[in-house]
Amino acid sequence: MKQISELNLPDDIRYSEDHEWARREGDAVRVGISDYAQDQLGDITFVGLPNVGDSFNQKEEFGTVESTKAVSELFMPVGGEVLAVNEALVESPGLVNEDPYGAGWILLVKSHNPDEMNSLMTKDDYVKRLKGTE
Amino acid sequence: MNKLRRTVFYDRHIALGAKMVEFAGCEMPLSYSTGIVAEHLATRKTAGLFDISHMGRMHVRGQGAVGFLQHVLSNNAQALEAGKAQYTFVPNWNGGAVDDAYLYCFVEGRYLLVVNADTRQKDWKHLQSFLPDFANVDLEDCTEELAMLALQGPMSRELLLRLIQSGRLPEPLRNESSIVRMCDAEVMVGRTGYTGEPICFELFIGREHALRLWNDLVKGGATPCGLGARDTLRLEANLPLYGHELGQDPEGKEIPLFAIPMAKFAVSFSPLKGDYVGRTALAKQQEAFERIVYGDYSLIASLPRMIQPIAMVGRGVARAGDKVFKDGRHVGYVTSGTTVPMWVFEGTGLASQPTDQHKLRAIGLALIDSDIEQDEKLTIEIRGKRVEAVVVRYHLRSEAPPYARPIVYGYELAQEAIPAEKRPAKALRLLQTTLGNSIWRQQECINLIPSEMTPSPMARLLSVMDPAFRYAEHKKMEAFYDADVFYYQGTDFIEEVERLLENEFAKFLDCEEIELRPISGQMANMTLFSAMVDYINFADRKREQRRIACVLNHHISKGGHLSAQPMGALRDYVARDPMTEKPAAINFPVRDDNRYRIDLPATMELIDEYRPELVIFGKSMFLHKEPVAEVRRFLHEQKIRAWVLYDAAHVFGLLGPHFQYPFREGADFVTGSTHKTFFGTQRGIIGNCFLEHEKRYELWRAVRRRAFPGSVSNHHLGTLVGLLMAAYEMNHFKDEYQRKVITNAKAFARALKDCGLQVAGDPTVEFTETHQVVIHVGYARGPEIARILEANNIICNYQATPDDEGFTAAGALRLGVAEMTRFGMAEKEFRHLAELIHEVISKGIDVREQVKKLRKPFCELQFCFRGDEYADIVHKLHRLL
Repeated sequence: MKQISELNLPDDIRYSEDHEWARREGDAVRVGISDYAQDQLGDITFVGLPNVGDSFNQKEEFGTVESTKAVSELFMPVGGEVLAVNEALVESPGLVNEDPYGAGWILLVKSHNPDEMNSLMTKDDYVKRLKGTE
Repeated sequence: MNKLRRTVFYDRHIALGAKMVEFAGCEMPLSYSTGIVAEHLATRKTAGLFDISHMGRMHVRGQGAVGFLQHVLSNNAQALEAGKAQYTFVPNWNGGAVDDAYLYCFVEGRYLLVVNADTRQKDWKHLQSFLPDFANVDLEDCTEELAMLALQGPMSRELLLRLIQSGRLPEPLRNESSIVRMCDAEVMVGRTGYTGEPICFELFIGREHALRLWNDLVKGGATPCGLGARDTLRLEANLPLYGHELGQDPEGKEIPLFAIPMAKFAVSFSPLKGDYVGRTALAKQQEAFERIVYGDYSLIASLPRMIQPIAMVGRGVARAGDKVFKDGRHVGYVTSGTTVPMWVFEGTGLASQPTDQHKLRAIGLALIDSDIEQDEKLTIEIRGKRVEAVVVRYHLRSEAPPYARPIVYGYELAQEAIPAEKRPAKALRLLQTTLGNSIWRQQECINLIPSEMTPSPMARLLSVMDPAFRYAEHKKMEAFYDADVFYYQGTDFIEEVERLLENEFAKFLDCEEIELRPISGQMANMTLFSAMVDYINFADRKREQRRIACVLNHHISKGGHLSAQPMGALRDYVARDPMTEKPAAINFPVRDDNRYRIDLPATMELIDEYRPELVIFGKSMFLHKEPVAEVRRFLHEQKIRAWVLYDAAHVFGLLGPHFQYPFREGADFVTGSTHKTFFGTQRGIIGNCFLEHEKRYELWRAVRRRAFPGSVSNHHLGTLVGLLMAAYEMNHFKDEYQRKVITNAKAFARALKDCGLQVAGDPTVEFTETHQVVIHVGYARGPEIARILEANNIICNYQATPDDEGFTAAGALRLGVAEMTRFGMAEKEFRHLAELIHEVISKGIDVREQVKKLRKPFCELQFCFRGDEYADIVHKLHRLL
């Protein structure tokens, strides 16, 4: 497993307590899981996706990400309506491992409340939190 | 909290970057840096190495060991010979599982029991509790002193072979075991495993030597695999795990052992076991199981739910504990479930090979109502959502080594379309394709299939003339002094043909009696076996007719033919051994220095121990003479009354002074097929040397009855006429033909060897004493090379060597010179052919045209009657067709 110093943690996105990330893209927010999360989970073999049009509150469970050994719930970093899901993950769930911030994105969300972004951690806060759990 | 146990390999796991987890009080690798998916896939394509030293191991020794094991385990420990292993349960009194286990016997009378890590302490206490009832049982935990590794996957045999210093790997069958020397240490090796891999080994080695073995295996190319891959591999192979498929179900109810499909093999009700733990409950389950198998659910209460494999149809991954529904009704639970990877295979059938692509699929095992059948649709409640699944037969099949092959629900073979032409056009096309095939096989190919022969033009013509397609049942009746009575008219001609043919074969075999009616070699054997069963019950016609008590034959992996195997023609005629609960067939031991020859001293020991009722010589991979005289002498000296059968199918046309005279050497019966080395149309034959005044002649009378009406009503009259011509040809030409066949085979073998190919057999007799030559072409490469040779117009067959796990992993080719010798090819041509074969195999050169050129001068059949005196009548016969 990776050391914290080896993790790829971009500073243009925000992180949740549950290791999701959120990136503002115009009016929408793109969501995925962090490099730390994918590394902890190991080979991801299934991503349980919601339907387009579903709405979730912040911190509400919206799907699962599964490895051969375990199921982990996914929680909304920000509340909103699902505009798109990454269909490529149906055939290639391993994209989440290979490129968690790019091709391995999970949702595109129309945010209900732009302030929710500010409640998420910056890269520095997230690194501090990860060090705290070590 | 107790300190976690660590296996001897702990530092290796850390150095390899393993993700360590606690499992059953032990710190174990879940996976290494490449991850579970890569480890699973590596095991399926190359070889996976697993530290399984966390499992419990105990020695069970002492005079009371067998009695103790019979009482506390579900399988028949007494059936376990040295050099074998068996899957077994540790049952409780309710017919549920304390655990499942593997019992090994590496040395006679000493047993090694391997149990699950999680249940080790419980098992130990459970087993200890029975010890006071048994004297002289030494139960000793050896978990710490003996490390345990599993090496699984197609490459694993190669890896071990490279490390062996002395000794031999276990025979190439599951559950065989042996002791070898590797890494300067003694290693106990079992062909067992928990992955579904057909090439699988589990290794026991003293703790102090274990690291070196691990290092050498990793250096050799084995991929270290953790518990994660171990779980996905076992799930794909439908293998149960205690705590999931065994033990308690999610409602806290005990899972009956017969809910596991493997119970059929792991639970014994042998009288040798007496009343063991759980027997009464298990017998009740078994009774229910037996009905359920045939769709009768009247006893379903004793076995309400069973474990079945399921495949997900909808999107979702079923997990252990998820509820299963059918038509809205709750029918059970998922016991194990996850997503597993699999290689994508390309090509069909034997030619299918794994590609570099892999896919994922969600599969599971479920404990569901016993009346649910394969292909039935289920819904699984996964985290509140209902997802569709289906009951499948398997997720994986292991019967085609070297690979375990994934079975995907809904996959269907592409079918070639049936041409849409009208029937008259189809008729024309059939003629055209037959013409094409005949020209190719008869004029352009070199045919080296040792079991094939082209009969002469006259033999072929006669076999389609009248009375082909007619009937002529007949039987000898004692009321008429054994005169044959025919049931139909118009049969005088065929009666004469049969009489003349019997006479030719009696001369050829140098024996008294001939039965001609079986239409194949296999049917000849079945007729004879059936007659033997009839005869041994001659004195008591009222009791259930007993079968042949014990048969000594060649194992199929050592060249034995199907027509003498319990899996083939022998099945319904050989008894079950009450000790092993398997067909009572024992096999000729083979020599270590030449696995194609019988080991005589070991054979005699075996005969002395088992006292077989029937000894069957002869095989289909046949390089050397059979020691008929030596075995007959030994049987006589030991006063063992056994029939000696020489199944000459392959070498029938070679019998005589250049090879063997089975009857002169002491055979009672010779069976054969008339179209391999013999010249005939395709039929079977039985010869016998008993005399009419002898008591045992009654057996020959039984052979006649079991031929008709026992085996055939219509015995294919046409091919008998053709066969009579072939018999005339053989008896007339045999001295020269037989000599040439054997000379050609030896020259061919020598030339192949000189080209650098690996030729099997004894070099002091130029590798062969028959028409056959066997060359080793590399493990599991036989099918591919045979296919390439066919593309080069050389027709032969791939052949498993005595060390291969099955025909799909065949590492050899079997070549026969009989047919091409009959077309006139001599030593010079066979030497040329050896070079062409070498060019194809070793250099990949296309020799198609050279083969055609080599064949061209040898298209006219020899060793048959020709000339003007026959021409006119042959022409008339042709015109009659």
